[in-house]
Amino acid sequence: MFSRKVFLGVIVLLLAVAGAAGAQTTVTLPDTSQTTTLTASVSEQAQVTVPSGVTFNVTNVASSTAASAASVTVSNIVLATATKQLKVSIQGGAASFTPPVVGATTWAVGDVTWNAATWTNATGASGTLSNSSYTEVATCAADAATCSTTGLVFTLGAKSTVKRSGSHTLSMTWKFESIGT
Amino acid sequence: MKMIRATLLLLALLLLGRAPAPAIQFSSSFESIKIDGRPGEVVSREFRLRLSPGGKRAQFKSRTEDWWASEDGANSYYRPAGTLPRSCATWITLNPVETAVEPGGTLAIRVTAAIPRGVKPGGYWCVLTVDEVPDPLTAPAGVAVQFLSSVSVGIFINIEPVTRAAEIRDVELARGQARLKVCNLGNAPLGAEGRIEFLRPGASAPAATAVIRRATVLTDPAPCRVLSADLPASSSLPAGKYLVLILLDIGVDHYLGVQKEMEIGRDLLAPVAGR
Repeated sequence: MFSRKVFLGVIVLLLAVAGAAGAQTTVTLPDTSQTTTLTASVSEQAQVTVPSGVTFNVTNVASSTAASAASVTVSNIVLATATKQLKVSIQGGAASFTPPVVGATTWAVGDVTWNAATWTNATGASGTLSNSSYTEVATCAADAATCSTTGLVFTLGAKSTVKRSGSHTLSMTWKFESIGT
Repeated sequence: MKMIRATLLLLALLLLGRAPAPAIQFSSSFESIKIDGRPGEVVSREFRLRLSPGGKRAQFKSRTEDWWASEDGANSYYRPAGTLPRSCATWITLNPVETAVEPGGTLAIRVTAAIPRGVKPGGYWCVLTVDEVPDPLTAPAGVAVQFLSSVSVGIFINIEPVTRAAEIRDVELARGQARLKVCNLGNAPLGAEGRIEFLRPGASAPAATAVIRRATVLTDPAPCRVLSADLPASSSLPAGKYLVLILLDIGVDHYLGVQKEMEIGRDLLAPVAGR
Protein backbone atom coordinates (compact mmCIF):
# COMPACT_ATOMS: atom_id res chain seq x y z
CA MET A 1 0.00 0.00 0.00
CA PHE A 2 2.80 2.37 0.93
CA SER A 3 4.71 1.80 -2.30
CA ARG A 4 1.59 2.48 -4.41
CA LYS A 5 1.04 5.85 -2.72
CA VAL A 6 4.64 6.84 -3.46
CA PHE A 7 4.31 5.81 -7.09
CA LEU A 8 1.20 7.94 -7.56
CA GLY A 9 2.95 10.86 -5.93
CA VAL A 10 5.75 10.65 -8.46
CA ILE A 11 3.38 10.68 -11.40
CA VAL A 12 1.59 13.76 -10.07
CA LEU A 13 4.92 15.51 -9.67
CA LEU A 14 6.06 14.65 -13.20
CA LEU A 15 2.78 15.93 -14.66
CA ALA A 16 3.14 19.16 -12.70
CA VAL A 17 6.63 19.70 -14.04
CA ALA A 18 5.56 18.93 -17.60
CA GLY A 19 2.67 21.39 -17.33
CA ALA A 20 4.92 24.13 -16.12
CA ALA A 21 7.29 23.70 -19.07
CA GLY A 22 4.81 24.61 -21.89
CA ALA A 23 1.88 27.04 -22.49
CA GLN A 24 -1.20 26.27 -20.44
CA THR A 25 -4.16 24.77 -22.30
CA THR A 26 -7.63 24.03 -21.00
CA VAL A 27 -8.60 20.46 -21.72
CA THR A 28 -12.17 19.33 -21.29
CA LEU A 29 -12.16 15.89 -19.85
CA PRO A 30 -14.94 13.49 -20.80
CA ASP A 31 -17.62 12.88 -18.16
CA THR A 32 -16.75 9.50 -16.80
CA SER A 33 -19.67 9.32 -14.33
CA GLN A 34 -21.94 6.36 -14.90
CA THR A 35 -25.74 6.58 -14.87
CA THR A 36 -27.99 3.62 -14.43
CA THR A 37 -31.59 4.14 -15.48
CA LEU A 38 -34.12 2.12 -13.52
CA THR A 39 -37.27 1.50 -15.52
CA ALA A 40 -40.43 -0.03 -14.12
CA SER A 41 -42.77 -1.30 -16.80
CA VAL A 42 -46.31 -0.94 -15.46
CA SER A 43 -49.12 -2.58 -17.38
CA GLU A 44 -52.78 -1.61 -17.23
CA GLN A 45 -54.22 -3.48 -14.27
CA ALA A 46 -56.83 -3.58 -11.52
CA GLN A 47 -57.92 -5.68 -8.58
CA VAL A 48 -61.48 -6.95 -8.59
CA THR A 49 -63.63 -8.26 -5.73
CA VAL A 50 -67.01 -9.81 -6.49
CA PRO A 51 -69.36 -11.65 -4.11
CA SER A 52 -70.33 -15.22 -4.83
CA GLY A 53 -73.95 -14.38 -5.50
CA VAL A 54 -77.24 -13.14 -4.13
CA THR A 55 -80.22 -15.01 -2.75
CA PHE A 56 -83.84 -13.97 -3.10
CA ASN A 57 -85.96 -15.03 -0.13
CA VAL A 58 -89.21 -15.29 -2.05
CA THR A 59 -92.14 -15.45 0.34
CA ASN A 60 -94.75 -14.23 -2.10
CA VAL A 61 -94.33 -15.02 -5.79
CA ALA A 62 -96.95 -12.40 -6.62
CA SER A 63 -94.64 -9.63 -5.38
CA SER A 64 -91.16 -8.66 -6.34
CA THR A 65 -88.32 -9.65 -4.00
CA ALA A 66 -85.18 -7.67 -3.34
CA ALA A 67 -81.94 -9.39 -2.38
CA SER A 68 -79.53 -8.04 0.19
CA ALA A 69 -77.27 -5.31 -1.15
CA ALA A 70 -74.18 -6.62 -2.92
CA SER A 71 -70.69 -5.13 -2.74
CA VAL A 72 -68.38 -4.85 -5.72
CA THR A 73 -64.94 -3.29 -5.61
CA VAL A 74 -62.42 -2.46 -8.30
CA SER A 75 -59.19 -1.17 -6.77
CA ASN A 76 -55.60 -0.44 -7.73
CA ILE A 77 -56.77 0.73 -11.13
CA VAL A 78 -53.87 1.58 -13.43
CA LEU A 79 -54.71 2.55 -17.00
CA ALA A 80 -52.76 3.99 -19.92
CA THR A 81 -54.28 7.47 -19.97
CA ALA A 82 -56.10 9.75 -17.55
CA THR A 83 -59.22 9.60 -19.70
CA LYS A 84 -59.42 5.84 -20.16
CA GLN A 85 -62.05 4.09 -18.06
CA LEU A 86 -62.84 0.66 -16.72
CA LYS A 87 -66.35 -0.62 -17.31
CA VAL A 88 -68.33 -3.03 -15.15
CA SER A 89 -71.23 -4.83 -16.79
CA ILE A 90 -73.27 -7.99 -16.30
CA GLN A 91 -74.94 -10.67 -18.40
CA GLY A 92 -77.18 -13.55 -17.49
CA GLY A 93 -75.94 -17.05 -18.27
CA ALA A 94 -79.24 -18.36 -19.64
CA ALA A 95 -82.62 -17.19 -20.85
CA SER A 96 -84.23 -18.31 -17.62
CA PHE A 97 -83.49 -19.66 -14.16
CA THR A 98 -83.03 -23.40 -13.79
CA PRO A 99 -86.14 -24.65 -11.95
CA PRO A 100 -86.03 -27.35 -9.27
CA VAL A 101 -88.08 -29.64 -11.51
CA VAL A 102 -87.51 -29.94 -15.24
CA GLY A 103 -90.21 -28.07 -17.12
CA ALA A 104 -91.50 -26.16 -14.11
CA THR A 105 -92.32 -22.49 -14.55
CA THR A 106 -89.56 -20.25 -13.34
CA TRP A 107 -88.26 -16.71 -13.73
CA ALA A 108 -86.85 -15.36 -16.97
CA VAL A 109 -83.48 -13.63 -17.05
CA GLY A 110 -85.28 -10.34 -17.72
CA ASP A 111 -87.11 -10.64 -14.40
CA VAL A 112 -83.87 -9.62 -12.67
CA THR A 113 -83.31 -5.88 -12.39
CA TRP A 114 -80.88 -3.74 -10.43
CA ASN A 115 -80.84 -0.25 -9.03
CA ALA A 116 -78.65 2.70 -9.92
CA ALA A 117 -76.58 2.22 -6.81
CA THR A 118 -74.42 4.84 -5.23
CA TRP A 119 -70.84 4.16 -6.24
CA THR A 120 -67.64 5.70 -5.07
CA ASN A 121 -65.83 7.10 -8.13
CA ALA A 122 -68.39 5.76 -10.57
CA THR A 123 -71.86 6.48 -11.80
CA GLY A 124 -74.17 3.54 -11.35
CA ALA A 125 -76.78 2.68 -13.95
CA SER A 126 -79.95 0.74 -13.29
CA GLY A 127 -80.82 -2.02 -15.71
CA THR A 128 -82.48 -5.26 -16.63
CA LEU A 129 -80.52 -8.47 -16.96
CA SER A 130 -80.11 -9.89 -20.46
CA ASN A 131 -78.48 -13.07 -21.68
CA SER A 132 -77.64 -11.65 -25.11
CA SER A 133 -75.45 -8.69 -24.20
CA TYR A 134 -73.53 -7.26 -21.29
CA THR A 135 -75.33 -4.29 -19.77
CA GLU A 136 -73.43 -1.59 -17.97
CA VAL A 137 -73.69 -1.46 -14.20
CA ALA A 138 -71.09 1.25 -13.70
CA THR A 139 -68.13 2.86 -15.38
CA CYS A 140 -65.32 3.87 -13.08
CA ALA A 141 -64.49 7.56 -13.22
CA ALA A 142 -61.54 8.53 -15.37
CA ASP A 143 -58.28 8.54 -13.43
CA ALA A 144 -59.89 6.96 -10.35
CA ALA A 145 -57.73 4.51 -8.43
CA THR A 146 -60.72 2.72 -6.92
CA CYS A 147 -64.41 2.44 -7.60
CA SER A 148 -66.85 0.50 -5.48
CA THR A 149 -70.35 0.11 -4.17
CA THR A 150 -71.92 -1.58 -1.19
CA GLY A 151 -75.46 -0.84 -2.24
CA LEU A 152 -76.16 -2.76 -5.41
CA VAL A 153 -79.61 -4.28 -4.99
CA PHE A 154 -80.90 -6.93 -7.35
CA THR A 155 -84.65 -7.44 -7.51
CA LEU A 156 -86.55 -10.45 -8.77
CA GLY A 157 -89.86 -9.56 -10.35
CA ALA A 158 -93.23 -10.97 -9.38
CA LYS A 159 -94.10 -14.25 -11.07
CA SER A 160 -97.39 -15.63 -9.83
CA THR A 161 -97.21 -18.54 -12.27
CA VAL A 162 -94.31 -20.09 -10.33
CA LYS A 163 -95.69 -23.19 -8.60
CA ARG A 164 -92.64 -25.17 -7.47
CA SER A 165 -90.65 -24.43 -4.37
CA GLY A 166 -86.96 -25.23 -4.12
CA SER A 167 -83.89 -24.03 -5.94
CA HIS A 168 -84.37 -21.74 -8.90
CA THR A 169 -80.88 -20.68 -9.90
CA LEU A 170 -79.22 -18.58 -12.56
CA SER A 171 -75.59 -17.78 -13.18
CA MET A 172 -74.60 -14.23 -13.97
CA THR A 173 -71.23 -13.02 -15.20
CA TRP A 174 -69.56 -9.79 -14.17
CA LYS A 175 -67.51 -8.42 -17.00
CA PHE A 176 -64.58 -6.14 -16.32
CA GLU A 177 -63.16 -4.49 -19.39
CA SER A 178 -61.21 -1.53 -20.59
CA ILE A 179 -60.93 -2.48 -24.23
CA GLY A 180 -59.31 0.13 -26.37
CA THR A 181 -56.56 1.03 -28.75
CA MET B 1 -77.61 -36.26 24.88
CA LYS B 2 -76.41 -38.17 21.85
CA MET B 3 -79.56 -37.18 20.00
CA ILE B 4 -78.97 -33.47 20.76
CA ARG B 5 -75.35 -33.70 19.61
CA ALA B 6 -76.35 -35.44 16.40
CA THR B 7 -79.07 -32.85 15.75
CA LEU B 8 -76.64 -29.96 16.34
CA LEU B 9 -74.09 -31.58 14.04
CA LEU B 10 -76.71 -32.05 11.35
CA LEU B 11 -77.82 -28.41 11.72
CA ALA B 12 -74.22 -27.23 11.50
CA LEU B 13 -73.65 -29.28 8.37
CA LEU B 14 -76.84 -27.92 6.81
CA LEU B 15 -75.87 -24.34 7.62
CA LEU B 16 -72.38 -24.93 6.26
CA GLY B 17 -73.87 -26.30 3.08
CA ARG B 18 -76.08 -23.23 2.64
CA ALA B 19 -73.46 -20.70 3.63
CA PRO B 20 -72.62 -18.34 0.78
CA ALA B 21 -69.38 -19.15 -0.98
CA PRO B 22 -66.62 -16.62 -0.40
CA ALA B 23 -66.17 -13.76 -2.79
CA ILE B 24 -63.52 -13.97 -5.45
CA GLN B 25 -60.71 -11.44 -5.54
CA PHE B 26 -58.09 -11.19 -8.25
CA SER B 27 -55.71 -8.78 -9.94
CA SER B 28 -55.69 -8.80 -13.68
CA SER B 29 -53.95 -7.17 -16.57
CA PHE B 30 -56.30 -4.92 -18.53
CA GLU B 31 -53.72 -3.95 -21.10
CA SER B 32 -54.84 -4.36 -24.68
CA ILE B 33 -52.51 -6.45 -26.78
CA LYS B 34 -51.39 -4.28 -29.70
CA ILE B 35 -49.45 -5.73 -32.58
CA ASP B 36 -48.10 -4.02 -35.66
CA GLY B 37 -47.59 -7.05 -37.83
CA ARG B 38 -47.02 -8.27 -41.33
CA PRO B 39 -48.83 -11.02 -43.23
CA GLY B 40 -47.29 -14.38 -42.37
CA GLU B 41 -45.77 -13.12 -39.11
CA VAL B 42 -46.19 -14.94 -35.77
CA VAL B 43 -46.19 -12.80 -32.62
CA SER B 44 -46.59 -13.86 -28.98
CA ARG B 45 -47.67 -11.93 -25.90
CA GLU B 46 -48.70 -12.87 -22.36
CA PHE B 47 -51.78 -12.19 -20.22
CA ARG B 48 -51.61 -12.55 -16.44
CA LEU B 49 -54.21 -12.82 -13.71
CA ARG B 50 -53.42 -13.39 -10.03
CA LEU B 51 -55.81 -14.70 -7.41
CA SER B 52 -55.53 -13.01 -4.04
CA PRO B 53 -54.12 -15.12 -1.21
CA GLY B 54 -56.64 -16.38 1.29
CA GLY B 55 -59.46 -16.62 -1.21
CA LYS B 56 -60.88 -19.64 -2.93
CA ARG B 57 -59.41 -21.79 -5.67
CA ALA B 58 -60.90 -20.97 -9.05
CA GLN B 59 -61.00 -22.52 -12.47
CA PHE B 60 -60.57 -20.24 -15.48
CA LYS B 61 -61.28 -20.85 -19.14
CA SER B 62 -59.96 -18.59 -21.88
CA ARG B 63 -60.98 -17.99 -25.46
CA THR B 64 -60.84 -15.39 -28.17
CA GLU B 65 -64.03 -13.88 -29.46
CA ASP B 66 -65.34 -10.92 -31.36
CA TRP B 67 -66.41 -7.77 -29.58
CA TRP B 68 -68.06 -4.49 -30.28
CA ALA B 69 -69.86 -1.87 -28.26
CA SER B 70 -73.09 -0.01 -28.84
CA GLU B 71 -72.84 3.55 -30.11
CA ASP B 72 -73.24 5.00 -26.61
CA GLY B 73 -70.83 2.44 -25.16
CA ALA B 74 -73.39 1.16 -22.64
CA ASN B 75 -73.69 -2.31 -24.14
CA SER B 76 -70.87 -4.67 -25.05
CA TYR B 77 -71.45 -7.50 -27.48
CA TYR B 78 -69.32 -10.62 -27.48
CA ARG B 79 -69.79 -13.09 -30.31
CA PRO B 80 -68.03 -16.24 -31.56
CA ALA B 81 -64.67 -15.88 -33.28
CA GLY B 82 -64.96 -14.84 -36.89
CA THR B 83 -68.35 -13.12 -36.63
CA LEU B 84 -66.97 -9.72 -37.65
CA PRO B 85 -65.31 -9.03 -41.01
CA ARG B 86 -62.21 -7.60 -39.31
CA SER B 87 -61.93 -10.28 -36.65
CA CYS B 88 -58.50 -11.51 -35.57
CA ALA B 89 -59.98 -14.10 -33.22
CA THR B 90 -59.29 -17.06 -35.52
CA TRP B 91 -55.62 -16.06 -35.82
CA ILE B 92 -55.02 -16.48 -32.10
CA THR B 93 -54.03 -19.57 -30.14
CA LEU B 94 -54.03 -19.62 -26.35
CA ASN B 95 -52.06 -21.72 -23.94
CA PRO B 96 -53.37 -22.86 -21.54
CA VAL B 97 -57.04 -22.75 -22.46
CA GLU B 98 -58.35 -23.96 -19.10
CA THR B 99 -56.64 -24.26 -15.78
CA ALA B 100 -57.22 -24.06 -12.05
CA VAL B 101 -55.55 -21.34 -10.03
CA GLU B 102 -54.84 -21.69 -6.33
CA PRO B 103 -55.21 -18.73 -3.93
CA GLY B 104 -52.14 -16.55 -4.39
CA GLY B 105 -51.41 -18.27 -7.69
CA THR B 106 -51.00 -16.70 -11.11
CA LEU B 107 -52.65 -17.60 -14.37
CA ALA B 108 -50.32 -16.81 -17.29
CA ILE B 109 -51.78 -17.28 -20.74
CA ARG B 110 -49.54 -17.22 -23.78
CA VAL B 111 -51.33 -15.44 -26.63
CA THR B 112 -49.90 -16.26 -30.05
CA ALA B 113 -51.11 -14.46 -33.15
CA ALA B 114 -50.37 -16.07 -36.52
CA ILE B 115 -51.21 -13.43 -39.11
CA PRO B 116 -52.40 -15.11 -42.30
CA ARG B 117 -50.52 -14.54 -45.52
CA GLY B 118 -52.47 -12.49 -48.01
CA VAL B 119 -54.48 -10.61 -45.38
CA LYS B 120 -55.62 -7.15 -46.51
CA PRO B 121 -54.13 -4.05 -44.86
CA GLY B 122 -55.92 -2.30 -42.01
CA GLY B 123 -56.85 -2.90 -38.42
CA TYR B 124 -58.17 -6.19 -37.09
CA TRP B 125 -59.40 -6.77 -33.57
CA CYS B 126 -60.83 -9.34 -31.19
CA VAL B 127 -60.72 -9.92 -27.44
CA LEU B 128 -59.15 -12.39 -25.09
CA THR B 129 -61.82 -13.41 -22.61
CA VAL B 130 -60.93 -15.19 -19.40
CA ASP B 131 -64.00 -16.59 -17.65
CA GLU B 132 -64.32 -17.99 -14.16
CA VAL B 133 -65.83 -21.47 -14.51
CA PRO B 134 -68.71 -22.25 -12.12
CA ASP B 135 -67.88 -24.64 -9.33
CA PRO B 136 -70.72 -27.17 -8.95
CA LEU B 137 -69.80 -27.66 -5.28
CA THR B 138 -70.65 -24.04 -4.49
CA ALA B 139 -73.96 -23.90 -6.38
CA PRO B 140 -76.37 -21.74 -4.38
CA ALA B 141 -79.52 -23.06 -2.77
CA GLY B 142 -82.95 -21.47 -2.92
CA VAL B 143 -83.88 -18.80 -5.42
CA ALA B 144 -80.49 -17.36 -6.21
CA VAL B 145 -78.15 -15.87 -8.75
CA GLN B 146 -74.62 -17.22 -8.76
CA PHE B 147 -71.98 -14.64 -9.69
CA LEU B 148 -69.03 -15.40 -11.95
CA SER B 149 -66.28 -13.09 -13.08
CA SER B 150 -64.89 -12.45 -16.51
CA VAL B 151 -62.13 -10.24 -17.85
CA SER B 152 -61.78 -9.22 -21.47
CA VAL B 153 -58.80 -7.45 -22.95
CA GLY B 154 -58.58 -6.20 -26.49
CA ILE B 155 -56.29 -7.61 -29.16
CA PHE B 156 -55.58 -5.10 -31.92
CA ILE B 157 -53.50 -6.08 -34.94
CA ASN B 158 -52.56 -3.48 -37.53
CA ILE B 159 -51.35 -4.46 -40.98
CA GLU B 160 -49.78 -1.54 -42.86
CA PRO B 161 -50.83 0.57 -44.59
CA VAL B 162 -53.29 1.70 -41.93
CA THR B 163 -55.56 4.64 -42.73
CA ARG B 164 -56.67 6.66 -39.71
CA ALA B 165 -59.50 9.06 -40.45
CA ALA B 166 -62.61 10.17 -38.61
CA GLU B 167 -65.38 12.71 -38.70
CA ILE B 168 -67.28 14.47 -35.93
CA ARG B 169 -70.90 14.23 -37.02
CA ASP B 170 -72.91 15.64 -34.15
CA VAL B 171 -72.38 17.66 -31.00
CA GLU B 172 -74.89 17.93 -28.20
CA LEU B 173 -74.69 19.70 -24.86
CA ALA B 174 -77.25 18.53 -22.35
CA ARG B 175 -77.64 17.69 -18.69
CA GLY B 176 -74.15 18.82 -17.78
CA GLN B 177 -72.52 16.70 -20.45
CA ALA B 178 -71.15 17.25 -23.91
CA ARG B 179 -71.70 14.35 -26.28
CA LEU B 180 -70.17 14.10 -29.71
CA LYS B 181 -70.71 11.44 -32.33
CA VAL B 182 -67.47 10.39 -33.99
CA CYS B 183 -67.43 8.13 -37.03
CA ASN B 184 -64.47 6.14 -38.26
CA LEU B 185 -63.69 6.68 -41.95
CA GLY B 186 -60.46 4.71 -41.98
CA ASN B 187 -59.61 1.02 -42.07
CA ALA B 188 -58.60 0.49 -38.43
CA PRO B 189 -60.02 1.08 -34.93
CA LEU B 190 -59.15 4.46 -33.46
CA GLY B 191 -58.50 5.59 -29.93
CA ALA B 192 -60.12 9.01 -29.65
CA GLU B 193 -59.85 11.55 -26.85
CA GLY B 194 -59.56 15.30 -26.63
CA ARG B 195 -60.92 18.46 -25.14
CA ILE B 196 -63.60 21.08 -25.57
CA GLU B 197 -62.68 24.74 -25.27
CA PHE B 198 -65.26 27.44 -24.50
CA LEU B 199 -64.17 30.83 -25.81
CA ARG B 200 -65.94 34.14 -25.25
CA PRO B 201 -66.53 36.03 -28.53
CA GLY B 202 -63.29 37.69 -29.59
CA ALA B 203 -61.20 35.97 -26.91
CA SER B 204 -58.13 33.97 -27.85
CA ALA B 205 -57.85 31.94 -24.65
CA PRO B 206 -60.62 29.61 -23.50
CA ALA B 207 -62.74 30.59 -20.51
CA ALA B 208 -63.12 26.92 -19.62
CA THR B 209 -62.25 23.50 -20.97
CA ALA B 210 -63.73 20.02 -20.66
CA VAL B 211 -61.92 16.72 -21.15
CA ILE B 212 -63.34 14.28 -23.70
CA ARG B 213 -62.95 10.79 -22.29
CA ARG B 214 -61.06 8.24 -24.34
CA ALA B 215 -63.06 5.70 -26.31
CA THR B 216 -62.39 3.33 -29.15
CA VAL B 217 -64.13 3.96 -32.44
CA LEU B 218 -64.28 0.72 -34.40
CA THR B 219 -64.95 0.12 -38.06
CA ASP B 220 -67.72 -2.36 -38.94
CA PRO B 221 -70.18 -3.17 -37.38
CA ALA B 222 -70.25 -0.05 -35.20
CA PRO B 223 -68.21 2.65 -36.99
CA CYS B 224 -69.68 5.51 -34.94
CA ARG B 225 -69.27 6.12 -31.22
CA VAL B 226 -70.58 8.78 -28.88
CA LEU B 227 -67.79 10.36 -26.83
CA SER B 228 -68.62 12.37 -23.76
CA ALA B 229 -67.19 15.05 -21.51
CA ASP B 230 -68.41 16.53 -18.25
CA LEU B 231 -69.13 20.22 -18.70
CA PRO B 232 -67.35 22.68 -16.40
CA ALA B 233 -69.20 23.99 -13.37
CA SER B 234 -71.32 27.08 -13.91
CA SER B 235 -68.86 29.06 -11.79
CA SER B 236 -66.20 28.69 -14.47
CA LEU B 237 -68.65 28.67 -17.38
CA PRO B 238 -71.21 31.45 -16.77
CA ALA B 239 -74.25 31.65 -19.02
CA GLY B 240 -73.67 33.43 -22.30
CA LYS B 241 -72.57 33.08 -25.89
CA TYR B 242 -69.46 31.01 -26.56
CA LEU B 243 -67.45 29.68 -29.42
CA VAL B 244 -67.23 25.98 -28.60
CA LEU B 245 -64.11 24.42 -30.06
CA ILE B 246 -63.76 20.64 -30.09
CA LEU B 247 -60.29 19.20 -30.53
CA LEU B 248 -60.02 15.47 -30.99
CA ASP B 249 -56.85 13.41 -30.95
CA ILE B 250 -57.27 10.24 -33.03
CA GLY B 251 -53.62 9.25 -33.11
CA VAL B 252 -52.57 11.11 -36.23
CA ASP B 253 -50.21 14.09 -36.58
CA HIS B 254 -53.00 16.66 -36.31
CA TYR B 255 -56.13 17.23 -34.24
CA LEU B 256 -59.58 16.78 -35.66
CA GLY B 257 -61.52 19.95 -34.90
CA VAL B 258 -64.93 21.50 -35.20
CA GLN B 259 -66.27 24.72 -33.79
CA LYS B 260 -69.74 25.89 -33.10
CA GLU B 261 -71.17 29.11 -31.73
CA MET B 262 -73.48 28.26 -28.86
CA GLU B 263 -75.66 30.03 -26.35
CA ILE B 264 -75.01 28.46 -22.99
CA GLY B 265 -77.95 28.80 -20.67
CA ARG B 266 -78.32 28.04 -17.01
CA ASP B 267 -80.46 24.98 -17.52
CA LEU B 268 -79.34 23.31 -20.71
CA LEU B 269 -77.17 24.42 -23.57
CA ALA B 270 -78.84 25.33 -26.83
CA PRO B 271 -77.06 25.51 -30.17
CA VAL B 272 -77.61 28.73 -32.11
CA ALA B 273 -75.55 28.18 -35.22
CA GLY B 274 -74.06 25.46 -37.37
CA ARG B 275 -70.41 24.55 -37.69
